[in-house]
Parts: sequence; C-alpha cells; structure tokens
Amino acid sequence: MIVVEFKDVEKAFGRFKALKGLSFKIKSGERVAILGPNGSGKTTTARLMSGQIRPTSGTVRVFGKMRIGEDVKKRMGIVSHNLFLYDDLSAYENLKFFARLYGVEEEKVKELLREFGLWERRHEMVRNYSRGMKQRLSIARSLLNNPELLILDEPTTGLDVEGRERLFEWIKDFESTLIFTTHNLSEAEKLCKRVLMLKEGSLVFDGESKEIENKYQRVMK
Amino acid sequence: MKFIEIAKKDLRIEFRTKNTLNFLFLFAFLSVMLFSATIKKPEPVILWIVFIFVGMLGYSRAFLREVETGTLEALKISPVEPASILFGKMIFNGVLMILLEIIIIPIFIAVFQIYPRDLLLAFAVITAGNIAFVIITSSLSILVIKSKARELLMPILLFPVVFPVILSTVQAFTMAINGESGDIASPLSVIIGFSIAMLAVGYLTVDYAFIE
Repeated sequence: MIVVEFKDVEKAFGRFKALKGLSFKIKSGERVAILGPNGSGKTTTARLMSGQIRPTSGTVRVFGKMRIGEDVKKRMGIVSHNLFLYDDLSAYENLKFFARLYGVEEEKVKELLREFGLWERRHEMVRNYSRGMKQRLSIARSLLNNPELLILDEPTTGLDVEGRERLFEWIKDFESTLIFTTHNLSEAEKLCKRVLMLKEGSLVFDGESKEIENKYQRVMK
Repeated sequence: MKFIEIAKKDLRIEFRTKNTLNFLFLFAFLSVMLFSATIKKPEPVILWIVFIFVGMLGYSRAFLREVETGTLEALKISPVEPASILFGKMIFNGVLMILLEIIIIPIFIAVFQIYPRDLLLAFAVITAGNIAFVIITSSLSILVIKSKARELLMPILLFPVVFPVILSTVQAFTMAINGESGDIASPLSVIIGFSIAMLAVGYLTVDYAFIE
C-alpha cells in the first residue's frame, strides 16, 4: 500500500521555488530518509505531507487522499525541530490537550509520560524543561494516536549527543512507516534503508542508503 | 467539540500567564480615566471607544500568540478543522470580553454617572455589540496572520468592517440608557445580522487563509 505519493509537486513561496517537480512514492512500512543540504526543500516536503501547506502545483496524496484533513491527520504523527508544545502548560496538560484533539483516552497520556521518563515532572511547566526533555515530550505527543506514519523533520536539531542517541534508539524500535528528514548522511544511513536526496528543490537520488556516499559528497559540495 | 478544547486550553494559559488580561484591564481602566478627565459631557459612545481600542489590540492576540510561539503549526498538524480553531478563538475572546465588561461597565457608570434606565438591556446590548466585535476581529485576524505587517494591517481592515456594528451598538445603548426600548429591534437586528454574516465569512475563508 502506498502511504505517501508526490506527483510533479512544485511549491513556491512568493518568487522562490522551494520544490521543483518532485515525484516519489513511499510504501507502507518503509523507512525513508529525506536528505539534503539546508534549503534543499526537506522541511517543505515534510510540511506538505503533514498538511501544513499546500502544493502550488502537482498532487500530494497521503493514505490515498489529496485532502489532508482530520481523517488523515489522525493516522500520522509528526516530530519536528519546532516542538509543537505549549510552554505555559505542563507536560501532562500538553498531552491531555492533544489527546482530546485526537480522541485518545487519558490513560494513553499517563502511559507515554511513564514510557518517556517524564512522569515525575509531569506537572512542571514545559518552559522549565531542557531541550532534551521537550523533545521527548514532543515524541510522546506524536505517538498519542499510535500513528501509521511518523514524520521526523530534523528532530535532532538542538539535541546533545546523549539526546540524539536516545532518539535514535527509540526510532529503531518504531515499526510503522517512518520518514526522516536530515542533512546528516550518517544519521540517514543509521536509521533508514531508503534515501531520497534533494538538492535545490529537486530529487537527485532515490535508492538504498549504502549506495549514496559518493553521490552525497558531490551534492554537498 | 474540539473548539471547546481549544478555548479551554487558551483560557488556562491566559489565566496562568495573564499576558492579555492584565493589559486589557489596565488599558481599559486608563482609557476610562483619561476620558473622564478630559470630557465634560458624558456620552455612551465613550464606552464603546474604550471597547474598540481594547478589543482591537487584545482580541487578535489569540491568533498572533500562536503564530509567535509556533504552536499554530501544532494545531495545523492535529486532527482539527480550521473552523474549529477559529470558533475556539472566538469563544476565548468572548470570555475575555465578558470579564472586561463586568469590570469596566461599573467603573464607567461610577465615573461618568450615566445610569441606564434599563441596566439589563444596556448590558445585553453592549454584550451583543461586543460579540459581533469579537467575531469580526477573530475572522479578520486569520486573514492577516500571514502578513509581516499584521499589527498595522489589522486596524486598517477592521475599522470599515466594524463601523456598522459600532453605529448600531451606540444607538441601541443610548436607547437602553434612555429607556426607549421600543425601537431597539432595528439596531439589534443590524448587530445580529452582521455577526451572522461575518461568522459565515470567517467559516468560508478560514480553510484557505490558514494553510499556505
């Protein structure tokens, strides 16, 4: 089953073309890294998949649907460098709020807070959390609905080495479809079998991560 | 009822931080005091001038705060229709507005010594006008959130749109003060009609205005 399909997708912000005719398909259960230097269109691609923005032309289908509405969003989770959390709510209140939007029982909130080691400090305001704790909470938020598709948009930004390792450990255990955007080749190789490489809004490579090293060096130059 | 959850979340944050509330009350109080010191003949329209200034600056904060903190994106990726977000913000602003009324109207009455003959009707008219104002401000603030000059753009868009509501509310409020409730249906119907029309405009445009 095709989970994500891009067909001749272009996205312009004013005069700037962020994506130029991007086409690819991602099947159910695949782990795909979207790799590229800064400004290559990785985040734009992730935002198109999650319905935060619309394509200027071409079609984006997620779970077979062009309109990324409530039904589609209920099946996906997103972790980003933007943490999508309210600083003036506690960890518990944050998850409870999003759980209600997803129609998820409060029991799941408790379960995730325990799983991510945040239970003891669940009533503390998120603004007092460290970056690593916020990122863990953000991952917990993305898992509230047991997503069939998880999009990780440069989730390691601002994390220390230990935070990164914990994140990678956790990603390794995730079983559904996973899309991971990064500018770091070793992260892409470590976590994903398939790599889509973008450069200046165009797809320049689509294949297995082991084939990519030479190509990547050229693109980054 | 996801819009209720959004309104509850906003109210929880607001009562905790009091970022907008403190500013609204202080600004309204100062405006009333300033008018009382400079205007000799009290007019009901003064109360509305206070509400317009306060509302114009305060009600659009509900959206702008989400833009500034990046949490609007959190709502966009959640399974919530944009219309629910709009209605949630309207409810949040509506609660702020009622709190403001409860505090400012008695101060206004005491300072200007304007005693409405029909106090309940006067309160109802002000509330109806303010609800219309909240609907208009919330609907328009969605249209300007993408603009870099949104804080400047908002009053320019707002004034012409809100003018019929202001005019009708002042008329109805003057009637309530003078106890002439017989003709009040006419300005009230303008307020209600305008609210419904702007609610429809907000509902129909929010989807396109929200997502780039």
